[in-house]
Amino acid sequence: MPAFLSPLFLVGVAAAAIPIAIHLFYRRTEPVIDFAAMRYLRRAPVEHSRRRRLRELVLLALRVTALVLLALAFARPYLSDSVAAQSGAATLVMVDTSVSLSAPGRFEAARERARRAIVDAPATHAVGLVAFAQAADVITPVSQDRAGALAALAQLTPGAGATRYRAALQGAADAFNGRSGRIVIVTDLQQSGWDAASDGSIPDAITVEVEDIGAPDTNLAVTSLRVEGADAVAVVQNYSARPATDQVIFAVDARRIGAVPVTLAAGASVEARVALGGVAAGGLSASITDRDGYSADNTRYAILDESAGTVSVFAITPTGHPSEALYLERALAVAEGTRGFRFRSLGGGAFSALDPAALEPVGVIAVLATRGVVQRGRERLAEFVRGGGGLLVAAGPDVDPAILKEALVVFINIRRPPRVPEPLSFAPDDSRHPVFRVFGGAGTLGNVGFSRAVRIAAPATASIIAHYSDGSPALVEERTAGGRVLVFASDLNYRWNDFPLQPAFVPFIHETVRYLASPRTSRTDYLVGDLQSATTPGVVEMQGRHIAVNPDPRESDPARMTAAIFQAGISRLNAAAAQHELTAAQQQEDRQFLWWYGLLLMVVSLAAEGIIGRRLG
Amino acid sequence: MNARAAGARPSELRFLDPAVLARLGTLELKARAVVEGLLSGLHRSPFKGFSVEFAEYRQYLPGDDLAAIDWKVYARTDRHYVKKFEEETNVDCHLLLDVSASMGYGSRGITKLEYGALLASSLAFLMNRQRDAVGLTTFDDAIVTMVPPSARGSHLRSILVTLDRTTLGHRTDVSKPLHVLADGISKRGLVVFISDLLDEPDRVVDGLRHFRFRGSEVIVFHLIDPAELTFPFDRAARFRDVELGDEVMAVPSVVRQEYLDALNAAVERYKRELGSEGIDYRLIDTSTPLEFALISYLSTRGRRR
Repeated sequence: MPAFLSPLFLVGVAAAAIPIAIHLFYRRTEPVIDFAAMRYLRRAPVEHSRRRRLRELVLLALRVTALVLLALAFARPYLSDSVAAQSGAATLVMVDTSVSLSAPGRFEAARERARRAIVDAPATHAVGLVAFAQAADVITPVSQDRAGALAALAQLTPGAGATRYRAALQGAADAFNGRSGRIVIVTDLQQSGWDAASDGSIPDAITVEVEDIGAPDTNLAVTSLRVEGADAVAVVQNYSARPATDQVIFAVDARRIGAVPVTLAAGASVEARVALGGVAAGGLSASITDRDGYSADNTRYAILDESAGTVSVFAITPTGHPSEALYLERALAVAEGTRGFRFRSLGGGAFSALDPAALEPVGVIAVLATRGVVQRGRERLAEFVRGGGGLLVAAGPDVDPAILKEALVVFINIRRPPRVPEPLSFAPDDSRHPVFRVFGGAGTLGNVGFSRAVRIAAPATASIIAHYSDGSPALVEERTAGGRVLVFASDLNYRWNDFPLQPAFVPFIHETVRYLASPRTSRTDYLVGDLQSATTPGVVEMQGRHIAVNPDPRESDPARMTAAIFQAGISRLNAAAAQHELTAAQQQEDRQFLWWYGLLLMVVSLAAEGIIGRRLG
Repeated sequence: MNARAAGARPSELRFLDPAVLARLGTLELKARAVVEGLLSGLHRSPFKGFSVEFAEYRQYLPGDDLAAIDWKVYARTDRHYVKKFEEETNVDCHLLLDVSASMGYGSRGITKLEYGALLASSLAFLMNRQRDAVGLTTFDDAIVTMVPPSARGSHLRSILVTLDRTTLGHRTDVSKPLHVLADGISKRGLVVFISDLLDEPDRVVDGLRHFRFRGSEVIVFHLIDPAELTFPFDRAARFRDVELGDEVMAVPSVVRQEYLDALNAAVERYKRELGSEGIDYRLIDTSTPLEFALISYLSTRGRRR
């Protein structure tokens, strides 16, 4: 379906009236003279009127076409993927099945509210049922089958997923398939549900009604489980306003290795530590018995694995001198122990000359410059990514997009030159992405100021995980069959931004490098929803190795928002979605390049007009 | 603006402007005005017939030709009397007037048809006055009207009435009517062909050659409008053919020279090819006084005698 990125320029189509007016004006004023000695006049280079009129019409058509094409080109047309809307109104009932609904009696209340919403839906409305947590799951599509919806509702149970309202609402809007109507969302209005960002919006023709089922006033959760030296350390958080006591039971492969009683003040957290007793491998768990709060966050899992080691990072700089990657090197150097990094900087020439075997232990290559990266080096980069390595491209002033394009043409495409807009900030699209999870939303990332940034044209297979405040991509990820590529649309060396001076820089670098290196370092810690095959918490065997799947710790916080704030969030959602839609349209328009064809046709029209016009005299 | 300033020759001053003449009353009046004016300016009649018929005696006056004195009467009366004769002729004059649509063109108050009709009527008047038998044929792509030659005084009125009622016809195609007329002339005579000659020169010359073949003298008056002669237009315009109705777009400054070259080439060709056939060709600008055309005729007529 054709659409326009800058439809205001379509007003320029009115300019097509100019040649028409000129044509009509001159046609009206051109005199007709009766003449007898035409046989002598015809021997002169004259134009027969009928043929001339035809040519004039052709000329007029070409001129009008050229102007119309010019206006169309400026309006930047593209073909959108929107589909035909269905007619009729509908009521879609959305039931929250996230971890926070696992508190005693909560889901039964939610099911009853949903049942009422289905039964009470207007008679003229079709009805659908959607369960949602981190994503929307259409249980029964929008139809007249209310009995089917009620039967499906009776089978719903709460899961271990985190609440992601944006994704859920987007899924619901898609389920409407262009209809108008209402969404009845049955939820506990958990505050953290809005933190998790994703694309999505609600059309204007759909209203949202909230059925608030409330939340328990207390919850204890194991929010972290890690290994420190010979000990297992669990962090227990009290989310209630009352003090609480409990006992943390540690186990490896379901074999209890210790229990630690904990007493928690209101809103406080404590660490429970137990000696592993020489156990070096297996599935580690830490459990509490909180009966009043959410049950899904009472146990946390981790994998004991000696093989988890430090990540080796190569940075390609202009000459290889460590000072050229000073901030990156300093950020990596602060990590210690098994979570540490080994860092090495080298110039493009030296990198190109490396033996492939030298890259085998390397987890991540950070491209800060492309100078000296010859064809062999480009091939090394591509092989490295195909082999499961992580590539971080900081598209700063020393990076030549052409070289990267040649080396990684299937991964990412960067368009230069950098632009100098208003000072920009950036924010993650999905704060649950491993790179941003540590920040708990935008957090301090929003304090980073960018004076220059490159424009990244991401292919359809890539995902944009952070945007600048003007809507352009800031961090783009391409997951391949092998490794991962992250392209940061600025530099990491305090030249185009003040990121290295911000507190968020170190954790950002750590998380980014760990994320990129994870395919090679065998990541073992996942959240519910990270993997399609792991939908419940626990230790899961996947492709011959064990991984730990835990609920999102932020889901344990029962802090709620009001329905008004929720509705306001929907408004913001719409505004953000409009910006996202514009960005998506820009990317689509960039890919299709239709304006270029329009200009080409305009040039052809003008050339033809020139040729015919010259013959016409 | 006086005539001298306009570049007119002194001898033209006493002649009537054709446009002015066209606004006079009847065609007879116009013809009379032209012919009388012309003849009054001549010192003596240039016409002499093959035979003469006695009219009257008149007393000799100084200046009369001595050869005209009748010496027998002088012997009887002892006075000088001059014998007056009425000229008579055995020549049939055929006036052929083109009435095709292109003759309806005129840029200065008189169309070529009006000028041609005026010329034809003047010639008829003149011929009738000198007792020549005169006939009239109008044609376009066929013969439209035909008045057989006759020397009777009343015959002149028939010709003038016919000319007065002449209307524009269709497109020019002189070949067919010329051949038909040439075949119909049984007596050698004088053919006066009045046309704008906007036809294929080959066809025109071929048709007129037919008259010569039949032994007739031929005078061609090629009428041309001043605008056709100079192409004075300055703005780009659509020129519509008055005969065919089709239009061509032209920028006069661009096409003028080519047009004039084509016109002059046609005129030169007519001069050359008609001259080689012994046909007297006169290019007449319709802005010039009719008397010049008549003088041309008279000189040709004089040579014939």
